[in-house]
Amino acid sequence: MRRILVTGAATRTGGRIIQHLERIPDTEVFAVDDLDPVERFSSHFERLDIDQLSFARYLLDLKPHTVVHLQTVDRSALHGANRAHEETTVGAQALFGAIGRCTTVRHVVVKSDGAVYGAGPRSPSVVTVESKLERSGGRYQRDLEQMEMFVRETAERHAHVDYTILRLAPIFGPTIRNPISAYLTLPGVPTLLGFDPRLQLISERDALSVFLHAIDHPAPGTFNIAGRGQLYLSRILRLGRRVPQPLPKRAFHAALRGLAGTGIAVPKHTVSLLKHGRVMDTTGMTSILGFLPEFTCRQTTMVAYERVPAERLL
Amino acid sequence: MPPDNDGGVRAGTGGATALTRETLTAMTKAELLNYARAVGLPGRSKMSKAQLIDALTIEAANETTLPDESADAMLPIPGISREDRLEARVRRAGLYDRLSRFVDQNRRCGWRTIEGHGCGLPNLSGSDACVLHSGRDHYDVAVPATGRLGFDTWPTLFRHLHLATYDVDPIGLDPVIHEMAWHVMNGFYFDYFRVDVEGIEHVPIDGPAMLVANHGGAALPYDAAMLSLAVLNTSARPRRVRVSATEIFNMLPWVSHMYRKVGAVYASRDDARHILEHGGLLGVFPEGESGFMKPVWQAYHVQRFGRGGFVHLAEATGAPIVPVAILGAEEVHPAVAVSKRLAQLIRMVFPQQRVEEVAVFLNPIPLPVRWHIRFLPPVMPQHPNTEPDPLSMLERSEEIRRSVQNALDAQLAARGTAFS
Repeated sequence: MRRILVTGAATRTGGRIIQHLERIPDTEVFAVDDLDPVERFSSHFERLDIDQLSFARYLLDLKPHTVVHLQTVDRSALHGANRAHEETTVGAQALFGAIGRCTTVRHVVVKSDGAVYGAGPRSPSVVTVESKLERSGGRYQRDLEQMEMFVRETAERHAHVDYTILRLAPIFGPTIRNPISAYLTLPGVPTLLGFDPRLQLISERDALSVFLHAIDHPAPGTFNIAGRGQLYLSRILRLGRRVPQPLPKRAFHAALRGLAGTGIAVPKHTVSLLKHGRVMDTTGMTSILGFLPEFTCRQTTMVAYERVPAERLL
Repeated sequence: MPPDNDGGVRAGTGGATALTRETLTAMTKAELLNYARAVGLPGRSKMSKAQLIDALTIEAANETTLPDESADAMLPIPGISREDRLEARVRRAGLYDRLSRFVDQNRRCGWRTIEGHGCGLPNLSGSDACVLHSGRDHYDVAVPATGRLGFDTWPTLFRHLHLATYDVDPIGLDPVIHEMAWHVMNGFYFDYFRVDVEGIEHVPIDGPAMLVANHGGAALPYDAAMLSLAVLNTSARPRRVRVSATEIFNMLPWVSHMYRKVGAVYASRDDARHILEHGGLLGVFPEGESGFMKPVWQAYHVQRFGRGGFVHLAEATGAPIVPVAILGAEEVHPAVAVSKRLAQLIRMVFPQQRVEEVAVFLNPIPLPVRWHIRFLPPVMPQHPNTEPDPLSMLERSEEIRRSVQNALDAQLAARGTAFS
């Protein structure tokens, strides 16, 4: 019986991963989060703060074989900046400390984000895993960096663990409700006047299958995950038949703050992404990890805006 | 129905064949205008349909009329002689003729977007797709999507731009916007700056190479545009030169995305490596800002080539370096002073930018300087795929700088004034 521990079960992607893992025979799934799950699943769910020692004890008792760490999303809009920072960094410290001590764990799959590269005038046009990081994404970027550092240190110190870090491009799809897809599907989209960032996207379907792929085919290393191709923001909005509302810097920031009132909190690292854009090099994803996204960035966009049904493309 | 409906007349290739009055009467006014342009009929834009038919009948009867004699239809440009304009017209016609051979007007691309929009552009010669949908090659070789350059192709181009039927390259090159910019800048290239190119055979037809040139311009990087056009317009294979631009381009509104869409890259080691490893042509101005802001009394005194980072990159990727001497850019906006105050102002607006000096020039309109671009024999990497030591990097970059300087000196001695 293979035991899989999934943190961040309250996220939509997390819930769906659990639903898929449950169907695999000989697999037991344990889910953890400090919020209530949005997706329904039958596996055992424990409501725990992952930055508490009680969580570490839970993991040591559980003795899982694979850990899927998804609780790295930016929850600063929900919990406040300080709490989100603690959850990401102290949570990672507790989790990977416990993993180091728990000798049954063979493989850790960690969800990171392209935000770890930052986005700024000095970032290279195509960032690779080895690229120097540009510090512009504020606290979340630093937290992710620290979190990834805990992963690497644990793997270095303890020979029994392998790690796969997946740095995902923004997930976009018709049902997911993350800040960037809420932002992109607004009827009139505020954009920064005079800036047209290059963006990469990953469809919600591929975001799900890349984790299932990484759980089944452990390939140690850090990988950038994005659909093939890249789109300028103006193209995304044209494909989605959305009207861009170009605003000067101040008004743009004010508009984004206004959106926070309506429940769409665009985090700081996404704001810099909407100015400078980011394209990641995904050769490692196909050649080493062996994962090929089903949808290109353009197809992801068309599906997310429900202009083309996803089934027609498969 | 016009008898010649397969594009023969409209493409302008059958323009010289005489048409009877009946055929002309059967054509629509737009087709008549197209035909009139193909034979170079003067004053065609102001004519009614009947007048066009009359004039074209006479034109067809009198086949000795050459397009060159329709020069009275040209808008005069101050400072440019009539002979130069006529020569520009001939050169432009030569370019258009060469470009038209890259596509096959009789076969159309059958590509469709997932939402069902057809492509319909002519296929590349010897391929079963148009340039936008034939694969990655269009990032390196620029073939006009319709086979021609001209404002009348822009509606087609805008359609593809609007529907986003093609992919942009990872750095951000948009082949359609590049094509529009190419067409617009050709006005500067042929008619205004009358660029004269020498040694284009030194630019490789295939594979990675680095073009290293002297920098000037004071106001706008005209030399980057003209260097790109020199390769596009004269090389046997119209390759794109991916010129590297400093980080201030990333901070300026509109510039920040337009420079990428027309094919420039951000001057960083990662971008340069990306281009060379994918077998592209990289344009580098290693003088950087100190070359761009040269005052007029220092024009064509090539400054130090930075730290020679480009040599390092060429060695690491095994790319040959083609030194380029550009005569013209440094006189377009003669800088009468170099100001530190203005630089302070710029630093206030862009605190991240390290501008130390800004050139002050008096002419808002660029001067009609006659340009000469000379490509010098390529310098091969000495020890490909190794790390050269810092001193030899400086030595080699100085060697290349001197070869550019010598070529400039020779060109300066050979020419009369800057404008003739």
